[in-house]
Amino acid sequence: MATETKPSETNSSAEHIGKWGMVIDQDLCTGCQACVAACAMENNISFVGEEDSGYGRSMHWIRIERFWEGVYPEIKMTPNQPMLCQQCLSAPCEPVCPAYATVHSLAEHINLQVYNRCVGTRYCGNNCPYQMRSFNWRDYERPKPLDNQLNPDVTVRQRGVMEKCTFCIQRINKAEDAAKAEGREIADGEFTTACAQVCPANAIVFGRTDNPESFVSQLARIHGHGVKHLEELGTLPNVTYFKGG
Amino acid sequence: MAENNKHAHNSEGYFREKHLMLDPLPRGQMNAMAMEAMHHSTWKFWTVFAILCVIVAYCLVYSWIKMILEGLGIAGVNRPAYWGVFLVNTVFWIGISHAGTFISAILRVFKAEFRRPFTRAAELMTTFGLVQAGFSIFMHLGRIWLFYWLMPYPNQRMLWPNMHSPLSWDLLAITTYLLSSTMYLFLPLIPDLAMARDRSTGWRKIFYRILALGFRGTEGEWTHLRNAMTIFAFAIIPVMFSVHTIVSWDFASATRPGWNSTIFGPYFIVGALHSGMGAVVMVLAIVRSTMKNMKYFIRPEHFDGIGKLMLIISMAWAYFFFNDYIVQWYGGDKWTHLLLHFHEAGPMGWMWFAMLICNIAVPWALLWNARWRAMPWVTFAVGLSINIGMWFERYIIIPISLTINRMPFTWRMYQPGVEIPLGIGTLALFILLYMSASKLIPLIPVWEVEEGQMVHELKKFGRETVVSVSDLE
Amino acid sequence: MPDNISLLAVFSDIAPAADAIDQLRVLGLSDDQMNVISGIPVTEAMLGRPDQWTNVPGLALGGAVLGFLGGAFLAFVAPYLYPQPIQVGPHAIVPGPPTFIMLFELTMLGMLLSTFLGVFLDSYFPNYRPMEYVKEVSDGKIAVFFLCPNESREKFTNAMSALGAEKVEVAEVEHL
Repeated sequence: MATETKPSETNSSAEHIGKWGMVIDQDLCTGCQACVAACAMENNISFVGEEDSGYGRSMHWIRIERFWEGVYPEIKMTPNQPMLCQQCLSAPCEPVCPAYATVHSLAEHINLQVYNRCVGTRYCGNNCPYQMRSFNWRDYERPKPLDNQLNPDVTVRQRGVMEKCTFCIQRINKAEDAAKAEGREIADGEFTTACAQVCPANAIVFGRTDNPESFVSQLARIHGHGVKHLEELGTLPNVTYFKGG
Repeated sequence: MAENNKHAHNSEGYFREKHLMLDPLPRGQMNAMAMEAMHHSTWKFWTVFAILCVIVAYCLVYSWIKMILEGLGIAGVNRPAYWGVFLVNTVFWIGISHAGTFISAILRVFKAEFRRPFTRAAELMTTFGLVQAGFSIFMHLGRIWLFYWLMPYPNQRMLWPNMHSPLSWDLLAITTYLLSSTMYLFLPLIPDLAMARDRSTGWRKIFYRILALGFRGTEGEWTHLRNAMTIFAFAIIPVMFSVHTIVSWDFASATRPGWNSTIFGPYFIVGALHSGMGAVVMVLAIVRSTMKNMKYFIRPEHFDGIGKLMLIISMAWAYFFFNDYIVQWYGGDKWTHLLLHFHEAGPMGWMWFAMLICNIAVPWALLWNARWRAMPWVTFAVGLSINIGMWFERYIIIPISLTINRMPFTWRMYQPGVEIPLGIGTLALFILLYMSASKLIPLIPVWEVEEGQMVHELKKFGRETVVSVSDLE
Repeated sequence: MPDNISLLAVFSDIAPAADAIDQLRVLGLSDDQMNVISGIPVTEAMLGRPDQWTNVPGLALGGAVLGFLGGAFLAFVAPYLYPQPIQVGPHAIVPGPPTFIMLFELTMLGMLLSTFLGVFLDSYFPNYRPMEYVKEVSDGKIAVFFLCPNESREKFTNAMSALGAEKVEVAEVEHL
C-alpha cells in the first residue's frame, strides 16, 4: 500500500510519509558503535586516521553522539544519540547543489547522492542541519589486504566527492529487483540496512513507513513519544527517535 | 603654500594647486606625462616585480597544484566548517572589485568630477580583483578539473546545472560582472590607446595599434563610444548591486544559525564598498608616490573626496552590522545566542573586537578631519585598517560562524592550512597584474581629465572666487 | 574625382573650429563633404554639425531581449530537458525567486555585451585599413577634413588660416 508523497507539500508532518524510514530507540542504544563499524564495512568508507578524525574529518555515515549533564564527578549520562542522514522529504541539502549531485528520489523517497556528478562545492554539507555529510578530503589509503574487504555492490569514492548514508540503497535495489523478478512486493523484514542488521540491542529498526503494518510503522505507533530531530526546521526527516521512555 | 582657510581671498594659484580640474596643462604635455609614467621604471620596480613572481610561483602555482593532487585535506576545512578561507578570500576580492564600479559608474552618474583621474586605476582593481575571486572560488572545489559541469552548455547527456542553487546564480552574476567591468574598462581606454599608438614605436606601437582598433576620434566613433559608456554606467550599477547580493545569498539562503539573515544583501554590498574604497585609496597612494608625474594627476583633493566617502560608508556599515546584531541578540533562538556568544567570547573573540575597531573606530577617529583626510598616507593607513577589518568580518561570518550549528557534537575549530599561502599568492598576483598593467596601458584617462578641465572655471561671486562646473551632457 | 582634393585644418579650440565649419558651408561645401576628428568628444551641437546617428541603444535593447530569452531558456526549458525532471528539496521544478535572478542577470549580460559589440559594429572596429588621420588629434586638437575642388585650394587654405587654423595641409591616408 504505497502512498505517493509530493515532497513539495509542506506543513502537517502527519501526512508526510515517505517510503523507507527508521526508528531508533535511544534508550536501548548502548553506544557500542557496532552500527558505525558495520556501515563502514558495507559502504566502503575510507579509514581516515586519528589525526584527521580528531580535526573533524571523520567519514562515518552514522555516528553515536554522547552527551552528559553536570560536571565531574557528578556526571549524569543522557541517552546516546545515533545520528545518520535523516533522508529528509524536504531536504535542505538538495536545492543548493549546483551540479544536481544530490537529488530527491521520486521512486524511493529518499535523498540520493550522485558521486559521478559531485564537483565538491560542499554547500550541501553546510546546509544539512544534522551535519551528517562526509567529504573525501583526501584519497585515503587502503593497504593490502584491506582492499579484499570492499563491498562490490558499492563504489569507492574519489577525493573531492561528498558522500553520506544512503539507507543502504544497494540493498534496497537488490531487494526491489528480486521482488520485481518474482512479481511481488517486498516483504517486511526481507532485508535491512547494515546498521539495523548488526545492532545487538535492536535499537535501530528499518522498513517501509508507507505500510502501516510494517514493524517500523507499528513501533512508531506503539511508542507514544517519538521525536523527529530539528522538526521545527521543516525538513520532514524519515527517522523517528524514542527517548525518555 | 596657501593655507586651507575658506574665508581667505584665495588666489588663483591656490585653486590651481589644489584642484586638478583648475590646473590645466596642454593636452600634449599631459599625454607625454602619462606615457612617461608608463615607460619609466626603476630597479626598485623590477625587484618588487621579481619577488612577486617568486611568491606567485610558490604560493599560488605550486601550492595549488599540490592541493589538486592531494585533495582539500591539506587545507583547513572540516566538518562543520566546510567553507573556510577560500570563501573568505572570494568574498573579499569581489568586495574589492566593487570599488572600481562605484567610482567609474556611480560617481560618473552623479557627476562627481573628482573621479576623473582615477576611474581607470579603480576599474583595473575591479578586473584584477575578480580574477583573484575566480581563482579563490575555483580553489575551494573538491574536483576542480570538473568545474565546467557548473556551466550551462548543451552536452550529450542533456545535463544542465541546477539553477535552484545560489552557487549557480553566483556563476551567472560574477560572469556578467567580470565581462561587463572589463568591457567598461576597455571602452574609455580606446582613445588613450589611440594616443599611445600615436606616440609609440617598436613593439609598443604594434601592441597599441592592435588594441586601439583603428580609433581616430571621428564624430561617429565618439558618439557610439559615449552612448555605450552612458548605457554601461547606468546598467552596471544594478549588476554591481546584484553581484554582491547574490554572493551574500550563498550564506543567507542556508539554514545555519547566524547565516539565515534577511539583511545580508545590503550588508554585504555596503561591506564591499567599505573594503573597496579602502583598497582604492591604498592603490592610489602607492601609485602617486611611486610612478612618475602622478603627483600632478592625483592630488590630496582626491584623497579628501574618497576619504569622505569612506567615512560615510563606514557609518553605513556600522548601521547594517548593528541591525544584524541587535535582532539576533534580541529575538534569536538559542543557537543564534550561542553563536553570538562564540563570536565575542570564544577563542577567536579577539578577531571580533579587532573587526569593530578596524572598521568603525579607526575610520571615525581619523576621517572626520579634512586636513588629515587629504594626507595620502593617513587615508592609506585607514584603508589598510578597513581592509584588515573587513577580512576579519568575512572570516567571522564564514569559518567561525560555521563552527556553531545545531549539532553540538560536531563543533570543531577551524585552522587554515594551505589556504594561507594560496591567499598570499592571490594577493601577490593582484599586485603583479596591476604593476604589469601600469607599464602597458596609461593609468590616467587623459582625455577625460582634459574634458573635465574644459568645463571647470573660476567665477567670482562678489568678492568670493568659487569653482564653477559646466554641464555638457 | 581627380580634381577634388582632401584637405585638413587643425584647430586647438572649439569656437574657431565651429567658425571654420560655418565658413566651409559658406564656401559651398555640404556637411557630408566634411569630417571632424577630435581628441576630446566635441559634440555635434558645439560645432553646428548635424546629429550623428547611432545604433548602440537599439542594439543594447536587442541584446537585452536576447539575454532575456536565454535566461528564460535556463529557467523554463532546461529543467525539462532531463528524461525525468529532477526534484530538489521542496522547490517546484521551475522555482519562483531563482527564475527572477536568472532572467535579470542574463538580460543585463545580453544588454551589455551587445552594447559593447554595438560600438564595434557601428564604428567598423577593428579598422586597420589606412584612413585619413593626423597625429595632432590625440593631443587634443580638432581636425576638420574636407573635400574641395583642386583649383580653389588656395582660397580654402587662406580661409582656414584666417580663422586660426594651426596648420592646413593635404590630408594623407595613413596606417593607424
